[in-house]
Amino acid sequence: MLSAQSAPAAPPKRRKWLTDDTLTSLSLVVSFVLLCVFFASQTPYFLTQANLSTIASTIAIVGITSIGMTLVLITGGVDISVGSVAALSGVVTSLLWLEHGIPLGVATVLGILAGGLVGLLNGAIVTYLKINPLITTLATFSIVRGLAFVLSEGQTNLLSNEAFNFIGRGTVAGIPFSLIVMLTLYLIFFFVLRYTSFGRNLYAIGGSPQASRLAGIAVTRHLLIVYVISGLLAAFSGIINVSQLASSAPRAAVGLEFTVITAVVLGGTSLAGGKGTLIGTLIGVIILRTLDNGLVLMQVSSFYQDVARGFVLILAVGFDQIRLKFGQLQRSKGA
Amino acid sequence: MMANQMNGAPLLEMRHIHKSFFGVKVLDDVSLSLRKGEVLALLGENGAGKSTLIKILNGDYTMDSGEIYLGGQHVQFHEPRDAEAHGIRMIYQELHYAPDLSVTENLLLNELPHGRGFPGRYAIDWRRAREMALARLKLLDLAIEPDVHMRDLPVVERQIVEIVKALSAEAQIIVMDEPTAALTPPEVEMLFGIIRNLCAQGVAIIYISHRLDEIFDIADRVTILRDGQHVATQAVAEVTMASVVELMVGREIEARRKTIEVGGGAAQVVLEVQNLTRQGAYEDVSLKVHAGEIVGVFGLIGSGQLSLTRSIFGAERPDAGSILVDGSACTIRHPQDARNAGIGFVPVDRKVQSLIMGQSVRKNVTLSNWGRLARMGFFQQGVEKQHTQHWIDSLGIRMAGDMEVPIRFLSGGNQQKSVLARWLEANVRVLILNEPTWGVDVGARSDIYDQLEALAQSGLAILLVSSDIQEILSVCQRILTIYRGRITAEFLRDQVTKDQLLAGAAGETL
Repeated sequence: MLSAQSAPAAPPKRRKWLTDDTLTSLSLVVSFVLLCVFFASQTPYFLTQANLSTIASTIAIVGITSIGMTLVLITGGVDISVGSVAALSGVVTSLLWLEHGIPLGVATVLGILAGGLVGLLNGAIVTYLKINPLITTLATFSIVRGLAFVLSEGQTNLLSNEAFNFIGRGTVAGIPFSLIVMLTLYLIFFFVLRYTSFGRNLYAIGGSPQASRLAGIAVTRHLLIVYVISGLLAAFSGIINVSQLASSAPRAAVGLEFTVITAVVLGGTSLAGGKGTLIGTLIGVIILRTLDNGLVLMQVSSFYQDVARGFVLILAVGFDQIRLKFGQLQRSKGA
Repeated sequence: MMANQMNGAPLLEMRHIHKSFFGVKVLDDVSLSLRKGEVLALLGENGAGKSTLIKILNGDYTMDSGEIYLGGQHVQFHEPRDAEAHGIRMIYQELHYAPDLSVTENLLLNELPHGRGFPGRYAIDWRRAREMALARLKLLDLAIEPDVHMRDLPVVERQIVEIVKALSAEAQIIVMDEPTAALTPPEVEMLFGIIRNLCAQGVAIIYISHRLDEIFDIADRVTILRDGQHVATQAVAEVTMASVVELMVGREIEARRKTIEVGGGAAQVVLEVQNLTRQGAYEDVSLKVHAGEIVGVFGLIGSGQLSLTRSIFGAERPDAGSILVDGSACTIRHPQDARNAGIGFVPVDRKVQSLIMGQSVRKNVTLSNWGRLARMGFFQQGVEKQHTQHWIDSLGIRMAGDMEVPIRFLSGGNQQKSVLARWLEANVRVLILNEPTWGVDVGARSDIYDQLEALAQSGLAILLVSSDIQEILSVCQRILTIYRGRITAEFLRDQVTKDQLLAGAAGETL
C-alpha cells in the first residue's frame, strides 16, 4: 500500500479486448436485456411491433443531443443549456417561416444555426472568460429559455408542412427517418472520436488541459468547436421535436438536459473528463428510452418515472464505482 | 552512534535503515543522528534518498529494516499521526494552509476554543482564539497580525505561520524541506533568525536544501547521502562547499566530461532569443543555441528561468523582445505556434504539465503529432504503433506490458523519456527542457543525459534549464547563469569551475 505514492503500481494484466470501456458497455447491455425481460413479463404490449416502433421513433431527440453532450463531457465540461437551445431553434424556425415569410428550409437551417451560435457563446465564455462550464451553461440555460419566451411571446405556433413533417415523422422502408439520421450521426461521431486527431485531442484535453496545451494542442479552438457541435445537435433535436408535435413552443424540451446527462453518464462517460464512448452513450439512451416506455405501459404515474430515472442513474454509476474499486483492490493485491 | 561519546544520547537516532521499492534499493543501511538544539543539514542529489528517509521518519513509509530511537527509546511509526504524537513535525515545500482563513484560524485549525455555558459552548470564542494565536506568535517574537488572511501575507510569513503551527503542539524535531525555495535573501535571513530562536529553545531541526551556501549559514552538521547510501556526517566547520559537492556528486562529473567534444562554433544558429523581457520575471535576455549544441541555463529555483522558457514556447506572453528560429523571426503566441515552428518543450512538472496520466504510452507519445499521423483526416493506427515502437526501442523506454499501458504506471525516468519521444515524433529542431531529471532515479538520469547527447549529435538544438549544478556540468557545452531574471555570465563548459557557476547564479559579477 505504502508504495503507491512513490513507485508505480504494476499495471493490470488483462486481455486486450477486455478494457474498462468494453466492460462498461457489456454491463449496460446485460442491464438492458434484464430490463426488457422484466417489462415483457409485466405487460404483453411491450414486445409488440407497434410499441417497438414507438420507441424507435421517439428516441432521436435524446439520442442526438447526447452525442454533443458526450463530446462536451469528454473534454471535462458540461452543457446544461441543451434543452433551452432545442426550444429556441424551434421557436426561431417557426417565427422566421410564419411571420417573416422565409422559406421553411432556410428557416430550419437558420434555427439550427441559432443553436450553434449559443454553443459558440458557451464556448467563448468557458475559454476566454474562464468561467466554469456548469455555471456558464446554467446561465445560458436561463438566458436562452427566456429568449425563446420573449421571441414567441409565450405562444405556441402550429407548424405543418409535408416536407418538414417528414423530419420527425417520416419513415424510410419502415424505419423512422429521425432514427436513421440519429444512427448516421452516431456513426460519424464514432469515427471522429476514435480515428481523427480532433477526437483524440478531446480525450487528451479532458485528461489534462494543461498538458494538452503544452503539447501544442490548440485547446481553446477544440473547446469552441465542441460547444458549437453540442449547440447545433441540440438545435437539430429541437427541430425534430417541432416536426413531431407539429408545433413550436417555448416550453418545449424542458428537462432535456437532465435526461441527456443521465443517458451519457449511464453510458460510462466520466464527468471528470477524459473518458467516454459513443457506443456507451447509445446504449444509455436506449435503456432510458426503454425504461420510460415500459413504465408508461405499466401505467406507472409520470411522477414515479422521474423517481425511477434518478434511481437508475445512481445504480448505474454506483455499480461502475464498485466495479472500479474492486478492480483496484485486485490490482493492489497482485502488486 | 558516533555522536554518543560527545554529547550524551542524541535526541533522534535512525539506525541502519533499509528500504526498497519493487526490488530497487532506495535506502541502503543509512544511519542518522540528531542532537537537541542543533540544525542538521541533510544533503544529497535528487534521488539520493533524502525524502524517502524523511518519509520513514514521518511514518509515511515503513522501512524494510532498521530502527528508530527517540530520546533513547525505541519507537515505531506506522503513520504520520504516530510521528506527530512523538513531537516530529514536517514542513513541506508546498505549504498546507487554508488561504482564505485568518492566521488565527490556521494556527488553531483543530483546536479553536469554545465559550462556556449554554449557548456559549456551541460557539467559537473568537476573542480567546485571537489571544491564543497571539501568544503563540509571541513565543518567537513575531509581529504577524492574527486577523489577516493567509492569502494576504508574504510567502515567508505564511511559511513562518506554518512553523508556528508545527510548534504549537510540542515539537521536538522539525523537518524543513526546501524552506527557502520561494524566498528572497532578506526573507531567508528572517527565517534563519526564527530557526536560531527555535534551536535556542531546544528544538532540533533537519534542514533539507539545494542551496548549499545556506548550509554554511545555518547548519551545525551535515549528513550527506548518495545513491541511497550514507556518505558522510561532518561538522559544518570541517567542510567546504567544494568538499560537500564532491561528496554529494562523487566522481561522475569528471568521468562524463571527456565524452563530449565542443560543438556549436561553426554550426548554424537554430534558436535565437533577442532582448526578451517579461515584467517581474526576466529582463533583457538574449541567447543563441546552435544545431548540435546543448546550452545550459543555471540558476537557483525562482530566478526567472521557468518563465523564460515558457515564453519561448508561447505558454506565457513576453512584454518585449523577439524569438528567431533558423534566423527568421517567429510570432509565437500559443504553444501550437511554437510547435509548428519546430520547438518542443519539456515542462518541470511531468505529472501535471506533460502527461495525460490516464492515457496509454502510445497516445502520450503521439500527442503532439496526431495531425501528422492522420491521412485524409483518419488516423493511421498501424503507423502510429510503428512510430511509438520505434521510440520505445531507440530511447529504451521500459514498461510492464506493451505501449497500451497507461503512462501513470511507468517510472519517472521512463515517463520523461516518453515526453522526449513525443517531441522527437513531432520532429522538432529545438528542444527546451526544464529540470528534466527531477524525481528521476540516478540510473535513468544518466540514460536521459546519454539520449540528450545523442540527440544533440544528430543536430537538435537543446536548451536545458536546471538548478542542479552537476546536471549542468555533465551535459551542457555552454552555460549561462541567471540571477533574478538576468543573464549574469556565460561560460564554456571546459573553462568553468563550480564556484564560478555558483557565483554567477548568486548574482556576483566576475
